[in-house]
Amino acid sequence: MAEYDAIIIGGGINGLTCAAYLGKAGLKTLLLEARGQCGTHCDTTEPGIPGFLHNLHATWMITAMSPAMLDLGLEKFGLEWRATEFAFGKTFDDATNTLIGLNPYDTVEHWRKISEQDTALLEKGLDFILPRIEDLADVLHTWLFTAPDIQKEKAMGSIFDEFLKSTGIEKSFDEIIRMDSFETLDLFYESEKIKTTFQALQWLAGFPPNQPKIGALGAILGNLMGTMFPVHQCKGGSHGLTHALVKAAVHHGVKILPCCPVKQILIENGSAKGVVLADEAIYPRETVAAKKIISNLSLVPTFINLVGENHIPPDLIKKIRNFKYDIQNLFVVNHALNGQPRFKSADFDDGIQKTFMGYFGGNTSASMRGIMESIESRRIHDEIIVNWFIPTLADPTQAPPGCHVVNTWLDVPPDPKYWRNRTLDGFMSWDTLKYELADEIDRAWEMYAPGFKSLVKDRIIYSPLDQYRNNPSAILGSWNGGSMIPEQFYEKRPVPGVLAGGGSRTFIRDLYLSNSIHLAGNTVLTSGYIAASEVAEDLGARTQEWWQNKAFTWYLENALNVPINLGVKEVAS
Amino acid sequence: MKKKAYDVAVIGAGHNGLICAAYLAKAGLKVILLERRHETGGGLDTLEHAGFKFNTHAIYHLMAEIMPVYKDFALHEMSVKYIYPEVQAAYLCAGKKPLLFYKNPEKTAQYITSVFSSKAGESYLKMYLDFKEFSEKILIPLTYVPAVPALDMVQQLNAAKDPIGKKFNQIAELTPLEILESYSIEEPVKAGVLNLFTMWGLSPFEAIGYLFPLYVYRMTNAALCAGGSHRLSSALHKRVVQSGGVISDMSEVVKVIMNAGRVDGVLLADGTEIKANAVVSTVDPRQSFLKFFDEPDIPRHLADSARRWEWEKTTFYGVHLALKQAPAYPLADSIPDAQNALITFLGIENTDQILDHVEDLEAGKLPEHPLGHVTCTSLFDPIQAFKGFHTGRWESLAPFKCDWEKIKESYADRCIAAWKKYAPDIDPLFRLVYPPTYIEHKITNMVQGSFKHGGYIPLQMGYFRPNESCSQVFTPIDGFYVCGASTYPGGMILGGGGYIGANILAEEFGVDKKWEEPEMIKQARNNGIIPE
Repeated sequence: MAEYDAIIIGGGINGLTCAAYLGKAGLKTLLLEARGQCGTHCDTTEPGIPGFLHNLHATWMITAMSPAMLDLGLEKFGLEWRATEFAFGKTFDDATNTLIGLNPYDTVEHWRKISEQDTALLEKGLDFILPRIEDLADVLHTWLFTAPDIQKEKAMGSIFDEFLKSTGIEKSFDEIIRMDSFETLDLFYESEKIKTTFQALQWLAGFPPNQPKIGALGAILGNLMGTMFPVHQCKGGSHGLTHALVKAAVHHGVKILPCCPVKQILIENGSAKGVVLADEAIYPRETVAAKKIISNLSLVPTFINLVGENHIPPDLIKKIRNFKYDIQNLFVVNHALNGQPRFKSADFDDGIQKTFMGYFGGNTSASMRGIMESIESRRIHDEIIVNWFIPTLADPTQAPPGCHVVNTWLDVPPDPKYWRNRTLDGFMSWDTLKYELADEIDRAWEMYAPGFKSLVKDRIIYSPLDQYRNNPSAILGSWNGGSMIPEQFYEKRPVPGVLAGGGSRTFIRDLYLSNSIHLAGNTVLTSGYIAASEVAEDLGARTQEWWQNKAFTWYLENALNVPINLGVKEVAS
Repeated sequence: MKKKAYDVAVIGAGHNGLICAAYLAKAGLKVILLERRHETGGGLDTLEHAGFKFNTHAIYHLMAEIMPVYKDFALHEMSVKYIYPEVQAAYLCAGKKPLLFYKNPEKTAQYITSVFSSKAGESYLKMYLDFKEFSEKILIPLTYVPAVPALDMVQQLNAAKDPIGKKFNQIAELTPLEILESYSIEEPVKAGVLNLFTMWGLSPFEAIGYLFPLYVYRMTNAALCAGGSHRLSSALHKRVVQSGGVISDMSEVVKVIMNAGRVDGVLLADGTEIKANAVVSTVDPRQSFLKFFDEPDIPRHLADSARRWEWEKTTFYGVHLALKQAPAYPLADSIPDAQNALITFLGIENTDQILDHVEDLEAGKLPEHPLGHVTCTSLFDPIQAFKGFHTGRWESLAPFKCDWEKIKESYADRCIAAWKKYAPDIDPLFRLVYPPTYIEHKITNMVQGSFKHGGYIPLQMGYFRPNESCSQVFTPIDGFYVCGASTYPGGMILGGGGYIGANILAEEFGVDKKWEEPEMIKQARNNGIIPE
């Protein structure tokens, strides 16, 4: 095989992003994917009744804020976004709800029903945010799409300080950043309902509210951006993003080889020189050389399995092995439904029926703390507190006419020890436990949306163990490339000593890591972007005119053009 | 002339649509390929679920590397690799010695001789070698050129330089049963060979015996696509994009737009109009003629023939298992090769049993005791299962008209019980059922689960597929073309329809074909098998 400028290991959405950028920059690029399909955590499949598309992992998409939208021209490759009128909704056991609209003034209107005081704060916030939206986008671009740097983060503080001052909160950014989100949100809001809404939202986005710094940052970002949440559904399911990225990469000359797991990264004199494919690959044991290797596998598989301990300093081996993957992973149940579930709280505000993603359970901050404490003590929490998604409300093409698909995510410890009065067998308990736990989720749905069970035609369960088998780089089914805890966050990610001089360059020359770095998770394409930038820079190919769009540019220009519930496949009358 | 957005719009991104689009894009035409589903590939569907790859539809690719597209698009460089297991088929039957078919025919004959009789072994080998020659010299090359009317074909073969033509004519009008008798094939080999044909829902009673040699030859040289069947379509997909073609999924075509009596483009379900000079449909005749057009706009005989189109009488029921270990068959303990067959048939004893089974199925009866075959792809291709685990696939013929929604799970229990009779230790981690209704829901051309897009009966084959005026890719509608499983040469993963379609369209547009005619076709022309 020929020598490449770059070999990318792993064809998830970040690997594909990196490949498409490098290909477009004119570099000879090879992407190796272990599975048959690219996309991995962006799978949309039909494991049950055909016509019902199930997003087995990523379901809410925030790619619209990525500079890749414009740099790679993803719309040209068939990517289309769909939305609902409301971006997020939390429904409560007292049959009320809280909503966040695509249009922030819809949120204002709705919040009036909850709390005058909190609504006033939101209005003040919007008065601050809207005139400064470009500056904010700039700050967020730097924070998300360039290498983590504590100086840059401090610089972010000034705009946050101003924001805090404008809302009348007498704390500095520096003080707030030491808190967790429960404390931060207490400063902002009086309503428990609104507080738990932000807790849910930021947790979903990978900022666990109980973690100092991460939680506070999540709360502030939630306040700033959550009010204009750029969240969408991909037409045809989340895998549509994968399709667009594959087409973009192939169009720009990238060679993509599926079913080619890598078993070794070749290191010579401290530099990565190539890869050796696995025995079961389509091209077994083939060696391929390249100037740069980018691994999209998470930290441990990259270094312990592919690089090998003999190339790693002993103290670093220990740190890598201690990297945590075990805080909060997802237990997913997907339902195929005969019709749309109706929330009890629709009588309070029927906006909840026009919301494709939301949350139920966890009615108070204490209850939200409760599930977090359970997870940390490896317990499956008693109360069912879940994220839910009804993608077909935004994109009806994901189910037959009149039908719907619902995804429900329960946050769980991936290796549970306890559930109620039972002792469990950790990670391996999922294969049997999953059916019972799914029944509990059905019961909870019935409570918040009576009649739910009678709509169910089919049920697909995806436990953390299933997630892991689907994607073995996601150790314990991890969805964020490793736990989001302060010692593994931002400039410390993944563990000190692995990265050298940037956001993806590692201590091994010519080897780049594009997972377990910075905010590796979600669908904003950060890590693939950072790795591509650094590889291209190092190969002297980071000079293209097209490669300078900022985060949010596409979104700010197009937010209002995203179709809202087109209803193209409504039941024929 | 009005400027068109595309030269060609191809409807349906199954393997034929992908092949057609890839060649035409390579020839420099502006091509858009429109697919109703969220995935391209049609029957080349590999469901990846929790680390397991399940081939929910096509699994054994009859032509594999023989398809011209394989070489023309260097698919071997695109993660497409075929695996040919040495033991192709094993027939296990309680109280009987297993019957094995090896890829190597001499080995099969030797085995049959040693277990059954030397006469049985000899007659099999003689038949096999004839079938191989019929296939290589006649049937395979003919798969990649436009259909020739049957009578012309008989004359052509009789007059061919190569005497194989005359020899083939002698069996071409027989039924498969008559062919087997003409070679004096004995039981249980007779049942084993016949079943390689009837397992595809092909009737042993119809005069479609000319296809019999091809199926027997190819099913004893069956290939698995490494990594799952979808590898093939995924590679084709990338070749289309590389060649400059546009692939648009979630794009259901509802109408072909006409202007001044000629095709002008297509209309999608969401209201999008796409302009194109030519439209190629790879879907079934009912959709091609009765859905895409308003009846008054097309010749009456086209609409009538589409209405007369017959779906297949039998379809498939499938169960996919994630297995903790590969199935082990104690019955065949003394014959290790019987543990390692690509396809394992369970409980087939003799020809009469197969004939009864087919009669029941064709009468719409659901077999009480399903006669199924099973495949464990991960034995040959470990990447199809999560490390250390295996995949299991049960498939059996079934009628379409049952209350599948009600019985799909209980019938799976019955099928797994039938499998367990032979492999008592199978222990699934989880299973996914696949009743015939799923076939129709997933791939809408496969009405009533018609996985070949329409019955293989003489009136729907060869020059008559889909009808006399359309089997040459052209249709009486100006600018509208058909190629795909419901046209010549038919269903299965042959790669013939899309290839023939692309050749004809390239000629229509007068563009340079950027590919050469395959050697086998040149050879057949030289031998006088294919008309000049």
